[in-house]
Amino acid sequence: MSVGTSLPARLRGMDRRWISTAARLAIGGIFIYAGSTKITDLATTVRSVRAYDLLPESMVTIVGNGLPVLELGLAILVLAGLGTRLAAIVSAPLFLAFLIGVGSAWARGLSISCGCFGTGGFTPNPVPGYVREIVLDTVLLAASLWLIRFPASRFSLDGVLGLHLHHHPDQHPDQHPDQHDDHHGTAAPQHRAATTRNRSSQETLR
Amino acid sequence: MTNARTARQERERKAAELRAAAARKQARQRSILVTVAALAVLAIAVGVFAIVKTAQQEQAAASGGTPGNFTTGNGVIVGNTAAPVTLVAYEDFQCPACRNFEETNKSQLDKWIADGTVKVEYRPISFLDSASKNQYSSRALNMVAAVVNVAPDKFKAVHDKLYANQPEEQTAGPSNEELIQLAVSVGVSEDSIADAVNKNSYSGWVKTVTETASKDGVNSTPTLRVNGKTLDTYDPASIKAAVDAAVKAAASTPTTTSS
Repeated sequence: MSVGTSLPARLRGMDRRWISTAARLAIGGIFIYAGSTKITDLATTVRSVRAYDLLPESMVTIVGNGLPVLELGLAILVLAGLGTRLAAIVSAPLFLAFLIGVGSAWARGLSISCGCFGTGGFTPNPVPGYVREIVLDTVLLAASLWLIRFPASRFSLDGVLGLHLHHHPDQHPDQHPDQHDDHHGTAAPQHRAATTRNRSSQETLR
Repeated sequence: MTNARTARQERERKAAELRAAAARKQARQRSILVTVAALAVLAIAVGVFAIVKTAQQEQAAASGGTPGNFTTGNGVIVGNTAAPVTLVAYEDFQCPACRNFEETNKSQLDKWIADGTVKVEYRPISFLDSASKNQYSSRALNMVAAVVNVAPDKFKAVHDKLYANQPEEQTAGPSNEELIQLAVSVGVSEDSIADAVNKNSYSGWVKTVTETASKDGVNSTPTLRVNGKTLDTYDPASIKAAVDAAVKAAASTPTTTSS
């Protein structure tokens, strides 16, 4: 957490916010694609979920029918940058669940394609798909964790509405008077796009 | 002078910090409120959509009629029902691999069926409408259901002709009228099926048998089971090996009828 030790902390606030924007685009882009291919063929999506043989039948239809909407909804939130941190708190366990699903399918020797993008079910050579899904889900899980840690980003509704949380109370200027500028490097851009009231609070802070 | 200025600056700094802290607290509360509201809306949308769609799917599967003459496994048996080996074949009429299976195994299947070694239980399903521009997969199965309902002995001829005339994936398959004429060409009377084909009367049954197969672990077509054992491949040699093994096993464990 302390400044100057971890890589994220060493990055200037400006860079972090761009990385957060990139993370939002990655997660949102994948979710748009995955959700739209699933929602156009719900019967296939339900069967794909069933093919993993992990959920009881009563859950299979609910998950198969609900997942595409969840993915599209999260895509909208993440791409708009609204409630970024909470959306990431939902997407992180989702990607973890996908990882577990694909990993267990591989471990059990199932020959299924993931169904991630609408076409689930059997595939004669599933391993390349499993590897691809594990890499993709790991990257997206990392992006979600990044957004939980650093939800403030460029081009976000959170920023426009002044909704960014002040999430580093331990980096309060009082405690790091010598890093005053550093702190502003993080905080000032968050407030630049914020509401007038926040801007005035920013000015008084100076 | 300097001390007074420093003290005033200090007071101002503290006041500013208090104001900033209050603003941060307010922003935090607003942030939590907005994000929780957004996620609540999303959660409700997901829940409502899932429940409504599940109900719709169940309703669609329950709608329409059930064609007669199918087995309890939603199949049609071709061959001697007393044959010691049963080959269950799940197929989709839009599935190129199924066509390949049919073509490459035709001669040995025909031979086994003729000599009474093997009976084939065809369990046609439909999950490849997305690979057709006009829902050929489900319409073809609906036509087959209509045929079996009135003339089960024509199943094999219609089945073979559908594979011989299988449309390419991602194209538009034969129209309903063309499907009716295909059945007529092998001796099915037009009047007996035209209504069911044109009205897609067995669409609910088509969904039901497909979901049933999915629940039975069928994730692809063709899925082949020789006396209950699922095969990994459908090349003639593997199928012959499985059938030979099943014949041997059936011979070494006499059934109650033969003892």
